[in-house]
Amino acid sequence: MKIRTARYVFKEGFLNAYRNRLMSLASIAIVIASLIIFGIFLLVTANLNYNLENLKEEQPEMQVFCYPEMDDAQIDNVEKAIEKDSRIKEYRKVGKTEAFSKVKNEIFKGKEYLLEDLDESIMPVSFIIKLEDPEDSEAVVKKFKAMSEVKNVTIASEAIEFITKITYWVPLVSGVLLIILLVISMFIIANSIKLTVFARRREINIMKYIGATDWFIRWPFIVEGVIIGLLGAAIAFVLTWLGYDAIEQKSSVALVKVGLNIIKLMKFDEIAAVTSLIFGITGTAVGAVGSFFSIRKYLKV
Amino acid sequence: MVEFRNVTKRYPNGTLALKGVNLRVNKGEFVFIIGSSGSGKSTLLKLILKEEDPTEGEVIVNGYRISTMKRKQIPYLRRSLGVVFQDFRLLPNKTVYENVAFAMQVVEAMPREIRRQVPMALALVGLSRKANALPGQLSGGEQQRVALARAIVNNPSLLIADEPTGNLDPETSWEIMRLLEEINQRGTTVLVATHEKSIVDAMKKRVIAINKGEVVRDQQKGLYKNEDKNSQIRV
Repeated sequence: MKIRTARYVFKEGFLNAYRNRLMSLASIAIVIASLIIFGIFLLVTANLNYNLENLKEEQPEMQVFCYPEMDDAQIDNVEKAIEKDSRIKEYRKVGKTEAFSKVKNEIFKGKEYLLEDLDESIMPVSFIIKLEDPEDSEAVVKKFKAMSEVKNVTIASEAIEFITKITYWVPLVSGVLLIILLVISMFIIANSIKLTVFARRREINIMKYIGATDWFIRWPFIVEGVIIGLLGAAIAFVLTWLGYDAIEQKSSVALVKVGLNIIKLMKFDEIAAVTSLIFGITGTAVGAVGSFFSIRKYLKV
Repeated sequence: MVEFRNVTKRYPNGTLALKGVNLRVNKGEFVFIIGSSGSGKSTLLKLILKEEDPTEGEVIVNGYRISTMKRKQIPYLRRSLGVVFQDFRLLPNKTVYENVAFAMQVVEAMPREIRRQVPMALALVGLSRKANALPGQLSGGEQQRVALARAIVNNPSLLIADEPTGNLDPETSWEIMRLLEEINQRGTTVLVATHEKSIVDAMKKRVIAINKGEVVRDQQKGLYKNEDKNSQIRV
């Protein structure tokens, strides 16, 4: 595009948006609303992932218990199986002595007399396992339960399952929501620009007869759409920022109060760049595509 | 310049607008296309502008084959044509100068060229002094002259006028016709669709008469009605 054409295109685009300012404002408001709703989901997703990473580090332990009567060779079998399993990040062997003293000191504390006649031989050897990925827990449990040497496998599986499920559903829901909101925004922007296009249909018609290319006619309207989309995105970003900051500051205190201090919200700075990028791209795309469709009809001369 | 080879145009609703039309307009000619409304002369012009495509046959305008040319090429076909309509089609919020300059702007002409060409076109149609007026402040004849200036400012080789005097009183109509003739004398091929008998009769130009979609007469120095027994039919 030639520079003088670009100048014409931008001037006309801004003029269009200004002349049609009531509808422009309405469209901007819709873009803001859509992007804020989307932003909430985006931030929730980001925080879930962030906390999941943290929780994975302190992942609930899986413990494989062998039968107490197993001899060393059989226990070695189990240990070898654990060692070879690539899904397992690390493991620790809990011997009979350790197990017995743990039971004595933690469960029967003060009532040690109940264990007087017993010794460590009643205790099973066990392995405390950390997985690479909590999603594998079910399969790993199954595998070790199937071994003849293994009596039982315990796991804090519910917590992992819950988090895994959420991290699966939240992006999915926000994705679907995003598409719906984008379609609505696009529709509103398209309608807003249709008004401009309609007001200028004579001009478009004349331009067609004079020999203007479709893109020459289209560009000012696309600029108008992009202006609406970008303004909406910018305002939505600022509002999201302010809102999130307020929540994040209060949350650290509130979460400690209810004992959920393992959950931490990210600082907005950490996600500001991504959020602004996504908002900007979304706003631009919605505006451009919306106006592209609104002018199509009038180009057919 | 313009050539119709056995052209038939049927609209989707079944209307047969043109039937086996053959005609040829050479460079530098001045041609009237006459016929009552509904005769098919508007369709003929629409085919030249590629507003419509022929159902059968071939239309060739300034070297472009209308039925096979790509959509992308349409603007370039139209840049080689100037068009004037019955209803002027000026932009009401732009001045006379801006209306004419607009035609050059949309084809991305150099600003220097625009500043040179627009006053020349306005001078030709005699509106130099009204350059800063808005179309609403002009008479019908003046508005049509602005439209003429806009049509010729890009130096098209072919000027198409669709009922250019349809909205004008007889005297103003004559002004426009004299301008069209002058433009023609400067080398531009001119094609005028009209049903104004007095003008056609007085100007003694080539006349192509269309009736019910068919060329019924093609006559040099013709009249509106076929009174000349020695009329030469060219098909």
